[in-house]
Amino acid sequence: MNPFASEAELVERAKGGSDQAFGRLVDRHQAAVRAFLRRVCRDREAADDLAQETFLTAWSRLDSLRADAGVRTWLCGIAWRKALTAERGRARSAARDRQWLDTRDGVEAAAGEDRATVARALAALPLDQRACVALCLAGDWSHAEAAEALGLPLGTVKSHVARGRAKLMDVLGVEP
Amino acid sequence: MNAEERLKAAFALDEPPARDLGFSAAVMERVARRRLQRSLLLLVPPLLAACAVLWALGPLLLPLAEGLGQGLAPAAGIVVMVAALTTFSLRALAPRRAR
Repeated sequence: MNPFASEAELVERAKGGSDQAFGRLVDRHQAAVRAFLRRVCRDREAADDLAQETFLTAWSRLDSLRADAGVRTWLCGIAWRKALTAERGRARSAARDRQWLDTRDGVEAAAGEDRATVARALAALPLDQRACVALCLAGDWSHAEAAEALGLPLGTVKSHVARGRAKLMDVLGVEP
Repeated sequence: MNAEERLKAAFALDEPPARDLGFSAAVMERVARRRLQRSLLLLVPPLLAACAVLWALGPLLLPLAEGLGQGLAPAAGIVVMVAALTTFSLRALAPRRAR
């Protein structure tokens, strides 16, 4: 198979049953999907598991991928819905998670690393806001792309990004 | 380093590698497993239908099968020997593959 095959070509072949083409799509988009889920889910292992499930669902629903839709946007839309479901499932253990995060607070503040600070601030954002920040600030997506993937109105995405950015700047000790 | 750069640098630490063969292999393994499950599930309805038909036709087929079995019993040895000879001959006469 041509290593520089276009996205549309790979999608067509994958729809026709080519595992090689689907594998190439996984190769191309795994980083974007995993990065998004890692920022939304807090837990890296859980995020990578969800990313695998995302690709599995994508494989079984390839027929629903519109010809004009971006594969990355479509995949992150599936990932987002999986993250929402997982988050709802975790609701029961939310209190335990908060306790765990509180214990992390002390360790990470002492380390004083931006990464830990940002991770903690991200975890504190509402899920919708976190997803918008993960896509637009961390992933350099356009607001329109994020709105399509998350199924949110464009204005909501813009305001989520602005608020999320302000909070992150705040925890980094910078005036937004 | 300004605030934007600090934010970008913090985000960059969470980036997975651009190419991760282990992850891709794990996904494709799960895809293969899912395909196998689907194939097996597709076999279930015709199998159930065949069982139902056999069950329904059982009273009719049983006497026939018994009669056929009694009729074929003397010839069973011959049938087995002919099948074995045919298989052996076909293998012996088949063109050899280049190694």
